[in-house]
Amino acid sequence: MVVDQSPRLDRVFHALAHPARRAIIRQLSGGERNLSELASPLRMTFPAATKHVRVLERADLVRRRVVGRQHLCRLRAAPLRDATLWTEQFRRNWEARFRALDELLDEMKSEEQPRSRRR
Amino acid sequence: MHPSGLQVSTPTDTTIVLTRTFNAPRRLVWEAMFTPDRMRRWMLPPPGWTTTVCECEARVGGALRVAWKSEEADPAMTLQGVFTEVVLHERAVHTERMALGSGQTIGSLLETHEFTEKDGVTTMRITQAYDSKEARDGAIASGMDQGMEACYERLDTLLARPA
Repeated sequence: MVVDQSPRLDRVFHALAHPARRAIIRQLSGGERNLSELASPLRMTFPAATKHVRVLERADLVRRRVVGRQHLCRLRAAPLRDATLWTEQFRRNWEARFRALDELLDEMKSEEQPRSRRR
Repeated sequence: MHPSGLQVSTPTDTTIVLTRTFNAPRRLVWEAMFTPDRMRRWMLPPPGWTTTVCECEARVGGALRVAWKSEEADPAMTLQGVFTEVVLHERAVHTERMALGSGQTIGSLLETHEFTEKDGVTTMRITQAYDSKEARDGAIASGMDQGMEACYERLDTLLARPA
């Protein structure tokens, strides 16, 4: 069975679209970090960093665990290694053409209807 | 959203397979795919480009010729091929060579179209067979905009390091 991966990939694309979140990913590639450690090199407030981390969590790129007062974050690289991510932009470009083809086919079908009724 | 959107797979190192269903009989899908006036409607050029030439004759030995112009160049890019196998409304195979305005080839492949129809719904399967893995990968990568590509490159470097 083929599962439509689009909503998941949308979340990954959205997560990667912001430079601050890419910087967070880069930091986490060095290992687990707590939220303040992530926020300070980016000159970001704690709530702002939390917001970005939430976006990364929704894309399943980051996992967070709470130990006492610390929010420890670690990178989950699997979604980035996913082969479907690699072909996603190619797929979207072709899908745009095929949507135009859907519209054209609808027109062609309605062009034909009066003719077939006459037969 | 289409009930069954486009599926893209890479079953071998040199191929890309596109599978898509259309809510129309395969006779019409065939006509839309291979009739120049119809092709112009869905072969969307990149933003700012226009299609200047569009010729297609779906018979064995028939030619496929498409050209685009941009503000800077005419032609900016061309696509040329020859049909090598045609079973009307069922199967068509053609060669394809993409070139820049200067004539420099940027990719060549063999494209196979297969059409099957069930209850008025047509499934079209396009198999693109490239000369090499590099050419295949290049075709996929060219779909990404530069910002995204830069982002991927950064991630590649990052992921190459042990976590």
